[in-house]
Amino acid sequence: MSRREEPTFTTPPDPDDFETRLNAKLEARRRAEAEARKGPSGWALGVRYGSEFTGGVIVGGGLGYIADLVFGWTPFGLLVGVCLGFAAGALNVVRAAQSMNNASGAEDGPRDDA
Amino acid sequence: MADATNPIEQFQIKPIVDFSIAGYDLSFTNSSYFMVAAVLLIVTLLSVATGKRALVPGRAQSVAELTYEFVAGMIRSTAGPDGLRFFPLVFTLFAFVLMSNMLGMMHYFPAPGLKGFTTTSHLIVTIGLAAIVMSVVVGYGVYKNGFGFLKLFVPSGVPAAVLPFVVLIEVISFLSRPISLSVRLFANMLAGHILLKVFAGFIVMLGAAGGAWAALGILPFFMVVAITALEFLVAFLQAYVFAILTCIYLSDALHPGH
Repeated sequence: MSRREEPTFTTPPDPDDFETRLNAKLEARRRAEAEARKGPSGWALGVRYGSEFTGGVIVGGGLGYIADLVFGWTPFGLLVGVCLGFAAGALNVVRAAQSMNNASGAEDGPRDDA
Repeated sequence: MADATNPIEQFQIKPIVDFSIAGYDLSFTNSSYFMVAAVLLIVTLLSVATGKRALVPGRAQSVAELTYEFVAGMIRSTAGPDGLRFFPLVFTLFAFVLMSNMLGMMHYFPAPGLKGFTTTSHLIVTIGLAAIVMSVVVGYGVYKNGFGFLKLFVPSGVPAAVLPFVVLIEVISFLSRPISLSVRLFANMLAGHILLKVFAGFIVMLGAAGGAWAALGILPFFMVVAITALEFLVAFLQAYVFAILTCIYLSDALHPGH
């Protein structure tokens, strides 16, 4: 142990400690971010929103058409039905987007929007 | 040759055993064959995997346990702990859709005709699954909450003047759920498989053209490889989406009122 008095203070006390911890944290965070950003693929997202919206319009229009047939309101049942269906479809899309944001934002805790 | 490049030939339903009652065609088709195959495979794989009941799970058993934990966690996080009473339903749906999607990824399968088939690429199958989900949601919701279930359609904090409109829109939105649930799964599987077949058809066409064209065939080939990988992802993702939306709808039956 002849080199015992090698000055320890010229080298930082724990060079790796902080750096490794920081790197590990950064790495974990980068991975989490990539995971969140990746989310579902664009195609899946498109079909999701598309089907939500189409579903609303189809059901609204269908109900309007049935109202036309049953009550003889032709063509106003269909017109109003499609408009309401449009609104319902938009509502569906907003809900889907909300739930998707929640899912990618905070994984913990139950979702309360649905 | 026409069959080899026809992108929608793969969705044809062919009867295996002809059978009809009172004029209704109830034949056992390739679609039925793949549904039965999916169910049998799930049951066999899960019972083999969990048969040993080892304390330290082997590979197969940990896959089964992972699936269990995955679905249980999904229900817990979306419908709350009391949603776990629906675990059998959600797990069955998830496993069935996943297995059907995955069987559909096989081009050749030990079935009559040796062709693969995707049951979930048919709207009638996915609508049937969605109808099961919605009847459970409505049935259990009414059974548990009685008329309180109708609170689902009355969001809180809406002025009375626009309430009728909002209720109407909420009802339509609720009725559109089974449609979007089924159309999403169906459209994903249908489009993915058509895309695969179209690009695979390009390879055959370019190969048949010969010469320099045949060398170009490598491009759609890479595309097919990439799309196949994507389709495996979609197959899993759609089963997951179907299951998680089932959970979200079930949570409405458990806790109506926003």
